[in-house]
Amino acid sequence: MLGLSLLAEGGEAVNFNRDIRPVLSDKCFACHGIDGDSREAKLRLDTPEGAFQKKRRRKSALVAGKPDESEAWLRIISDDEDEVMPPPDSHKTLSNEEKKLIKRWIEEGASYQKHWAFEPPVMPVVPPGKGSEIDRFVELGLKKNDLKLSPEANREVLIRRVSFALSGLPPTIEEIDEFLSDQTEGSYGRMVDQYLDSSHYGEEMARHWLDAARYGDTHGMHLDNERQMWAYRDWVIKSFNKNIPYDDFTVEQLAGDLLPNPKVDQLVATGFNRCNVTTGEGGSIKEELIFRYAVDRASTTAQVWLGLTAQCAVCHDHKYDPISQKDFYSLYAFFNSNADPAMDGNSLLTAPVIKVKPENYDAKITEYNELSNTVVEAMEKLPAWSSYQDPADKKLIGRIKDIEAIWFEDNFPNGAKVGNSGHPLTLVDQPVFSGEKALKREGKEMAQDYYQSGAAPLTVPTGSNFFFYVYLDPKDTPEEVMIQFHTSEWSHRAVWGADLIDFGKKGTSERFVAGPLPKTGRWVRLEVPGVKMGLKAEMQIFGFAFTVHGGTAYFDHLGVIGHEDPTTDPKASFLAWRKAKQAKGVPEPLSQWIQEGAEKKRKPSELDRLKDYYLARVCGTLGKEVESMRAELAKIESEKVNYEKGLPSTFVYRDLAKPRPSYVMKRGEYNQPGEKVEPGTPSVLPALVKSGEQATRLDLAKWLVSRENPLTARVVVNRFWQQVFGIGLVKTSHDFGTQGEVPSHPKLLDYLALRFQDTGWDVKALMREMLMTKTFRQESAAASPRWNNDPENRWLARGPRFRLDAEQLRDQALFVSGLIDFKMGGRGVMPYQPPNIWEPVAFGGSNTRFYKRGSGADLYRRSIYTFFKRTAPHPMFVNFDAPAREQFCLKRERSNTPLQALQLMNDVQHFEAARGLGERAMKSASNVGERVDFIFRRVVSRFPEVEEKKIIIGFFKKQLAKYQGVPKEAMKAISFGESEPAKSLDPSELAAWSLVANLVLNMDEAIVRN
Amino acid sequence: MKLSSAIDLTNMNPLFENQILQTRRQFFGDNGMRLGGVALAAMMAPRDVARAGSLVNPGLPGLPHFAGKAKAVIYLHMNGGPSQLDTWDHKPDLHKQFDKDLPKSFLGNRITTMTSGQGRFPVAPSKFKFSQHGECGRWVSELLPHTAGVVDDIAVVKAVHSNAINHDPACTFVMTGSEVPGKPSMGSWISYGMGAETEDLPAFVALTPNFPNGSNAQALFSRMWGPGFLPGRNSGVVLRSGNDPVLHLENPPGVDRQDRRSMLDALGKLNQRGFERFGDPEIQTRISQYEMAFRMQASVPDLTDLSQEKESTLGLYGDRVKTPGSFASSALLARRLVEKGVRVVQIMHRGWDSHGNLPKELGNQCLDTDQACAGLIKDLKQRGMLDETLVIWGGEFGRTVYSQGKLSRETYGRDHHPKNFCMWMAGGGIKGGTEIGETDEFSYNPVKDKVHINEINATALHCLGIDHEKFTLRYQGLDERLTGVEPRKVISKILT
Repeated sequence: MLGLSLLAEGGEAVNFNRDIRPVLSDKCFACHGIDGDSREAKLRLDTPEGAFQKKRRRKSALVAGKPDESEAWLRIISDDEDEVMPPPDSHKTLSNEEKKLIKRWIEEGASYQKHWAFEPPVMPVVPPGKGSEIDRFVELGLKKNDLKLSPEANREVLIRRVSFALSGLPPTIEEIDEFLSDQTEGSYGRMVDQYLDSSHYGEEMARHWLDAARYGDTHGMHLDNERQMWAYRDWVIKSFNKNIPYDDFTVEQLAGDLLPNPKVDQLVATGFNRCNVTTGEGGSIKEELIFRYAVDRASTTAQVWLGLTAQCAVCHDHKYDPISQKDFYSLYAFFNSNADPAMDGNSLLTAPVIKVKPENYDAKITEYNELSNTVVEAMEKLPAWSSYQDPADKKLIGRIKDIEAIWFEDNFPNGAKVGNSGHPLTLVDQPVFSGEKALKREGKEMAQDYYQSGAAPLTVPTGSNFFFYVYLDPKDTPEEVMIQFHTSEWSHRAVWGADLIDFGKKGTSERFVAGPLPKTGRWVRLEVPGVKMGLKAEMQIFGFAFTVHGGTAYFDHLGVIGHEDPTTDPKASFLAWRKAKQAKGVPEPLSQWIQEGAEKKRKPSELDRLKDYYLARVCGTLGKEVESMRAELAKIESEKVNYEKGLPSTFVYRDLAKPRPSYVMKRGEYNQPGEKVEPGTPSVLPALVKSGEQATRLDLAKWLVSRENPLTARVVVNRFWQQVFGIGLVKTSHDFGTQGEVPSHPKLLDYLALRFQDTGWDVKALMREMLMTKTFRQESAAASPRWNNDPENRWLARGPRFRLDAEQLRDQALFVSGLIDFKMGGRGVMPYQPPNIWEPVAFGGSNTRFYKRGSGADLYRRSIYTFFKRTAPHPMFVNFDAPAREQFCLKRERSNTPLQALQLMNDVQHFEAARGLGERAMKSASNVGERVDFIFRRVVSRFPEVEEKKIIIGFFKKQLAKYQGVPKEAMKAISFGESEPAKSLDPSELAAWSLVANLVLNMDEAIVRN
Repeated sequence: MKLSSAIDLTNMNPLFENQILQTRRQFFGDNGMRLGGVALAAMMAPRDVARAGSLVNPGLPGLPHFAGKAKAVIYLHMNGGPSQLDTWDHKPDLHKQFDKDLPKSFLGNRITTMTSGQGRFPVAPSKFKFSQHGECGRWVSELLPHTAGVVDDIAVVKAVHSNAINHDPACTFVMTGSEVPGKPSMGSWISYGMGAETEDLPAFVALTPNFPNGSNAQALFSRMWGPGFLPGRNSGVVLRSGNDPVLHLENPPGVDRQDRRSMLDALGKLNQRGFERFGDPEIQTRISQYEMAFRMQASVPDLTDLSQEKESTLGLYGDRVKTPGSFASSALLARRLVEKGVRVVQIMHRGWDSHGNLPKELGNQCLDTDQACAGLIKDLKQRGMLDETLVIWGGEFGRTVYSQGKLSRETYGRDHHPKNFCMWMAGGGIKGGTEIGETDEFSYNPVKDKVHINEINATALHCLGIDHEKFTLRYQGLDERLTGVEPRKVISKILT
């Protein structure tokens, strides 16, 4: 066992945290730990007070220095099945090694220590020697194990390793050549800096953070509809590129909304706590959801910043770590007053949301306003403008005009999209009231003909009276007839007869009972005033319906009579407009003034502003010249509206005005509140400093990044280490509690944590420091015994070597092919995806049921911009161990499966990329050998060895011969994918080179970071 | 000390692996046509591979814990929640309660908000006739005439309960043992522990067949066959109907099997050199995974080609078996997969969420599945595979006795009901012709032998020879297991 070399040996004293706690935690604490509810025999072994406590009948569990008098030890070595500890039914046993250690520990006095991770880090003495601090700590560990650092890897390996670590992409051939030719002092550091400065750095770093933040583009549950919060994703990328210090990065995400005068970016950052999955499933119990969301947010915060598995304490006191249920619910209390609703409404934007205004937003708006003003100023100079007189002021000008409009004659209005319930549309020649045809409608129960779109809208005149003619079949007399009108909805009806049709609220304008059923066997005119159906002057009607119940009726000649009166027509009279209070689309404060009506006294200056608005945009009697300028104005204003509409909105986090009280929830059940709790942090950690009476999320965020907090810096430097070296110094990078692993290099971890804080939480500086080390620059090759002895490379006696992540593999293929599109940010795109990934699983009504593949550049964007549907993630993510983003993920697995092989060989994305690379090889070099070199270098950054080249050329020749024999097949191979193959190249040759590129892209060396 | 606690499956015994590789190379030689899956099958019978330790689908050392009866699981998941009242939970006296209110004392306080606002909770007796079948005399609804014919082979569990009351959490619960997303699915756990007895196919396969038009279908979630925190290789592989049953199985256009073989020969040589240079045992694994991919390209289409089946076998599953993507064809495919050594097949049939017009919708659902369910049992039995294959049938919850929406003798709807519902199990380790569990006169609360979803799961593991309490993985500080942290018992009454 590798780990054993860490243990106390020979003369070295047993160390509780290193040697004993992990054993007790794993084997004893479930029944003899902090959780009072499950404690057996009232014995605690996790504290010295519990373990040394005198018992009346029995010996103490532990007696310092005396194993033979310690009940715990006697139980461990007991042969009696009823006595022995751990008991057989626990399925836990102690190894001989562990027993020996426990015995020695008791002999040496059984001294306890606080769990290492809860002790503040102390700046360790850096071991003497040459090289960087990190290297000296690593070398000390190696020395203890009789190991040494491996030699430095060659420069091709180094540049590819650095490039992937910092940008998630391989280097270009130019970058390789530049680095190879620059052998001067500091060239390695300059190369590192070049990748740190690239905007791809932020994309690569953000990828890892978005796993932790559980970012997705859908709500994640039930309908799993799209949600819009990609501005948060882009904020993370930008933050890494700007190298925002990690403490600010923390505070803005957890409490950006509570900062004084928060900037848009700081609000966008709070999206972190809106990334959790939510539901809109009908039937859900709201209290339960609110509870779950707060649990998720508290757990995620604890795990991401503190490395604590706090969610264990949702149902009971933590079995292993000193986190009580009360501790958990105190943390939960920070997140229990969320202003977002229980049900997400399956909406793209579930409040609270904000518009993400760019920095030049105000300037842009001013620009639009100035443009409009110029037009309005020009309008003001027109004679029609200055000569306008309100007809309401001079009654004589106004002349009332009667009008009649017919909307149904022979058929529904032109363009109407007519629908029916019951038999299809039937127009008859007999009986007809006027014109050629009438509508026949029959139904055993309710039946109707209707439309609500397609035709030009109809405007309700003043004093409207609606009328139509109806002929009831005497042999099949209906019980009821009805007309209905559609404005913004179907809410205007009049009925004659039995009133059986159960639409709308009876006795209101939604269902006005206009009279008894008319006489049968003849045409009868039915009339109803518009106001009875809630149809006011100027309203627009988009459709109407004829309805019968239980019989046959004929309908004809529907229309409206009314009159036009300029003194009351808002299009003609300024006063009438004010009285009509039509404020829709009117900007503030004018909108407010309009709504207050004409009764309210206005200052002359206000009246002038209102009138200017009216004349410029509303009044319809000013003539053609004004109309044409108005069109120009409308164009500018619609551009402005489009600009504003084009600004994305994004989910933000905010609290309710009145906080919800929080309670310890018994057994973790949402409806079992127990003791009331206040927002607070786990009592085992340093005290929280409150800014007011009650602690806020801002206090929590500041506490996390305070110098006193022993966990935050350790947890995050460990994760960056994991990113760079493939595995954390604490292997369980998600768990720094007692069930997690102890660090392989505790002093190094403390050094990094403190140094990180000393540099002002400078992430780029930390990344640079790690990448500059000899440790990082070692070659990763090793003889077999070295792999067997330390398969995970915990002692760092060789360089890191591990499989690339899902996104890196796809991005590499796109990059080397030249197809990649480096546009940053924006809504998630939909690249190639095999059919039937979303469709067979999605809910019928989901708006992410059908995958709408993008085209052109969307197919070739970096993978971080791929639309992430959480209940059916893109197969490239699933296949290569990316999480589904339903929960935080702080460490990905790295599996090795046949499905991965199939994807990299056959997926159109990868095969098209191989052709792209083949094309580039053919264009950039003229002979076979050089082309092989090009492909090989582009992918794995080095020249092929002679033998490798032979293998590849052999394969190329075989494929070339084949495709020359079957050029049709060659055409098929090079036409796979949307992009066009280069016409200038011979298809057979290109097909063979595509396969060569496909071969090289599938080499182990291409799939790993070496 | 726990510096390497989790068993890392990706690091297999390189020596053993290299031997296999050598053998394969000798067999395939360096030139000429390769036979892929067929060749390997000839070289080693599948079960022998398993004994030697499967290369591509390894299990955990020490598993199974004891000799289990079942070697494979076929899980027929009826998504949406079939009504127990109209299928298995016969309440002959309920018609007397028609349209009367369900007594308050039964109702309790956990009701979905779809019906909690309803003015009343009128009892809707099943409109379907029940009759007794088999030697065991099991009461079965007329909706399941074919399943009624195999009741002596199955054990009906009548008072199963779940914690969750809505689809998303309940589906997550039934498949992962927890209603919070993030845990591994049952199939992934079994794949992780037991591996599979095939070198050509994945250990765990999921199928998502079509369902009747007009039924109320809910969504599925990839977490229902996802690996959660287990290594990704344990994910259920969705076999799709159509040309590409496994993603990216087909070579690109213009690339044939010979081209792929040549490419893999070159790739094998390059990677072998890589192994010699770096010594990383992962490279050897990668070589073998690429070879398995190549074999799958032949074995999977072969497997999904149901035309190879005899008419008499097809007849067992009913006419619908000939419709690609039907439940019946999926059931037959499940048998073929298990025959080839796949460990777990999960069929997720949607459309069982009958909130309104239940008689019509449920009738269609049963018509779509009943004969194939029975056909699967018969087919397995005829081939002597039933003893080694555990079949599980059931949804994520049951349905309420009270009607949702309009109630008449002929039509009614039912809301979600997690307190008791019916599932059945058959085959490996299960005693046929048995039943367990009783519910009250309204089928609203269990009165005897209630069984938790995680006890169904514990029993399934038991049938495979796995002690569900010992089968744990340390994740985020907890010893996680399929059956959750609460104590759960195996349902011994229905075991052989």
